[in-house]
Amino acid sequence: MRRVTALPAWLRWPLYAGVGIFVLTLVETLDDTDRLTSASASQSMLRWGVPVLLAGLGGLFAERAGVVNIGLEGMMILGTWFGAWGAVNYGPWVGLLTGIGGGALGGLLHAVATVLFGVDHIISGVAINILAPGITRFLASEIFTGYPGGSITQSPRVPGVGHFTFPVLAGGEVGGWLSPNLLGSLGDRDWFFVSNVANLARGLLTQVSLVTIVALALVPLSTWLLWRTRFGLRLRICGEHPVAGEAQGIDVYRYKITAVTMSGGFAGLAGAFIASPELSGIYLEGQTTGRGFIGLAALIFGNWHPVGVLGGALLFGYPFGLGLRDLGGTASHSLLLVNAVALAAIAAWSLSKGRRTNAAVACVLAVVAAAWYLLSETVPDWWVNILPFAIVLLVLVFFAQRLRMPAADGQRYRRGEH
Amino acid sequence: MPYAIELTGITKRFPGVVANEQVSLAVEVGEIHAICGENGAGKSTLMKILYGMQPADEGAIRVFDKEVHLGSPTDAIAAGIGMVHQHFMLADQLTVLENVILGAEPTRSAGRIDFARARAHLREVGQAYGLTVDPDDRVETLEVGERQRVEIIKVLFRGARILILDEPTAVLVPQEVEELFRNLRGLKSAGTTIIFIDHKLDEVLEVADTITVLRQGRSVATVKPGDVTAPDLAELMIGSELPTAQTIGVTVTDEVALEVKGLTVVEEDGRVVVDDVSLRVRRGEVLGIAGVEGNGQAELIAAIIGTAAATAGTILFLGEDVTHATVRHRREAGIGYIPHDRHREGLLLQAPLWESAALGHQTRAPFAKGLFVDRAGARERTEWVRREFDVRTPSVEVATHALSGGNQQKLIVGRELAAEPAVLLAAHPTRGIDVGAQAAVWDDMRAARAAGLATLLVSADLDELIGLSDTIAVMMRGRLVAMLDPATLTARELGAHMTGAGVRGDSR
Ligand SMILES: Nc1ncnc2c1ncn2[C@@H]1O[C@H](COP(=O)(O)OP(=O)(O)OP(=O)(O)O)[C@@H](O)[C@H]1O
Ligand SMILES: [Mg+2]
Repeated sequence: MRRVTALPAWLRWPLYAGVGIFVLTLVETLDDTDRLTSASASQSMLRWGVPVLLAGLGGLFAERAGVVNIGLEGMMILGTWFGAWGAVNYGPWVGLLTGIGGGALGGLLHAVATVLFGVDHIISGVAINILAPGITRFLASEIFTGYPGGSITQSPRVPGVGHFTFPVLAGGEVGGWLSPNLLGSLGDRDWFFVSNVANLARGLLTQVSLVTIVALALVPLSTWLLWRTRFGLRLRICGEHPVAGEAQGIDVYRYKITAVTMSGGFAGLAGAFIASPELSGIYLEGQTTGRGFIGLAALIFGNWHPVGVLGGALLFGYPFGLGLRDLGGTASHSLLLVNAVALAAIAAWSLSKGRRTNAAVACVLAVVAAAWYLLSETVPDWWVNILPFAIVLLVLVFFAQRLRMPAADGQRYRRGEH
Repeated sequence: MPYAIELTGITKRFPGVVANEQVSLAVEVGEIHAICGENGAGKSTLMKILYGMQPADEGAIRVFDKEVHLGSPTDAIAAGIGMVHQHFMLADQLTVLENVILGAEPTRSAGRIDFARARAHLREVGQAYGLTVDPDDRVETLEVGERQRVEIIKVLFRGARILILDEPTAVLVPQEVEELFRNLRGLKSAGTTIIFIDHKLDEVLEVADTITVLRQGRSVATVKPGDVTAPDLAELMIGSELPTAQTIGVTVTDEVALEVKGLTVVEEDGRVVVDDVSLRVRRGEVLGIAGVEGNGQAELIAAIIGTAAATAGTILFLGEDVTHATVRHRREAGIGYIPHDRHREGLLLQAPLWESAALGHQTRAPFAKGLFVDRAGARERTEWVRREFDVRTPSVEVATHALSGGNQQKLIVGRELAAEPAVLLAAHPTRGIDVGAQAAVWDDMRAARAAGLATLLVSADLDELIGLSDTIAVMMRGRLVAMLDPATLTARELGAHMTGAGVRGDSR
């Protein structure tokens, strides 16, 4: 019974997206706004989602190899500084590489501490999160203060890599030729749902940063690497049952260290992206604002799978992108209604599974969200910041039995102790 | 006959113990060679040395007439040696195929795994040795016997010609043991050399061509099964005669200690693993639960101790409803617990012995004084358990993982009995314990029963079930399907009941 209804992943996620857009469309109609499904909403969702996605993929590699990487935030901070430094001196592409390198150094430190010295993963991660801002401040004071426009807390302007707009579908110019804009014209029709989908799709295909394309390509690439290659299989055994790996002659330490270093590289790329003109165009102290942690939240939301991480990153990026150009807080306010609908759906689902307590809790939360929506005009700006964490809490409460973290995740592994 | 393996003068010391002392062992090509010995005699250590997992301090190893240095499992695999460990080494979440190819993956360019070739080779190996598994099953869905087959295939997959099995039958029911032995004989006729460790002497005598006995780290004898009997072997192992079992009559009283009514446990995914089970254990009674592993015994015990939630039904302990009580409350109230997986639920492997001995009793004397841990009291009690239950260890300060498998088990049994519980939930209490110590543990359990202990016993060892129980309930697909009287029951009949081949309705 259960097996028959399970959809393959490539169908499931588009289906979820479709349902989500449908709800957004309904709420828009009710609330008489067009912000929720505008092209700029999806465009900024993607922009804000990319660092979260990259951090989440970083967490994925570490945790699939059995090391919890709560130091992603610190590695991301290293990425912002090294990314900005490389880009300012040697151009945007080199900046991405130095960003990756800076993050990877943080990853290597975490790897050595946890794998070779058996330090608790959380303690080492927290130490890196404390250490990283100190290092970047020191480096900035040594180096950026000597640059025109730089200071101890910021860099000069950081150049960015190019953009790309998909011709025919989303318009733009190709060598002086003004391409048609199919999705744009569809979006202008005001057809219920269809136009909304077209607008959102156009946003995803307009002015896409080349880094974003790379980041998105990393999703199938990671899946391939982890599930289709020898490297991936051996890496995963380190997270599931390292002793079994050792017994088959696999050098568990080496794989763990490689994985955690790669993890830092992903976080570093995320940092470089944040410092790039895509999001800020400058290195600024404190600019990562906890997005490493949100990456971990995306990892849990995505059930330790790359496609799921992408889903989580976009879901968390959406309210951020929306909140950005929404100083009054009215668009975010509409999201409250979306939340209420989602919670009501969870309540119904829990009830159908016979989980009465869960259903009751979801119901109460749905009512609270709805009441908040009805009784207020705007929402405070902190609300957008806690939303990812609130969503992950809900996922943990209501879908915990569907989550499956690697069996030996976070455990200390010492060679030859068994 | 040429030798597949020749060990000469192997010595291995651990802090405070000599695990192997000048051990010599010669295994002929194509034979089934059994290794017997008490708990802590050094069997697993010797096998780990042969598999490159631990270095020997002294001695030489020759494999197929070539002197070899085995610095890691990789070396051993290259020399043609494979090992199935005492505790399975399979990742539950990976598929059978992934587990099997791990470390020996056929690849194409760029490190891509060639799944087609892997599958074909797996099928070949399976057919050649008559072992069947479905490569796409996830390991967590497999029964114990199937897991063991996966382990064996894993070894053969990388072309091993020498197969080491550490206590392969401990987790199997008799029917599965027979199947395993059929497989081993098949492997032997295909030219594979097999070394295996086993505590059940009649099994050893049935399947082995040669038997080597270890005692306190030394090899004391090498014999042929035709020349010895089981008591002879036991004597060789422990150096004296087996103690004869105590006989105590019926001690069952009228006072119900544990009562379970209509207990049902439903897993998160909707599977009903315990289905409307009702049972009653009185003071002085042992109720045995028989069944092929995976039929809900583990979940039944888990629900009674409180690590799994009961979906429906009630659990009464000395008349008190504890269905929704915490594990801690149940433990403090007087429910003892010997878990089926000692590594996962029974011990703190990295902690010193006395901490492991406090596990589950940490809130009570002699392990605690008020809010604080009573170290002196804990050490003293651990020393007592060590003495009374013959736990072989240099001191109570060593890390728990340094104990041999059987000694870890003795520690758990001792710790639970020492606390004098009113009800004991015992899952495979003597798993991995040698014959001599097993008889001693049985005596201890009988003595506790005579003193009024109510025991719920789950075991895969049918002699244990028949020998200890006052009544045996057969569990199948989550239900209790028959109640049998052990006084008139043979192991074969019980085995038939467990697999569903028994006559239904011949209950007491
Ligand atoms: N890693 C270790 N550190 C310290 N001592 C150890 C270690 N491994 C084994 N020993 C000791 O070596 C001795 C032999 O242990 P071994 O595991 O080989 O016994 P065994 O014959 O396999 O017993 P069992 O039948 O109980 O499994 C024991 O006294 C044990 O305490
Ligand atoms: Mg052993």
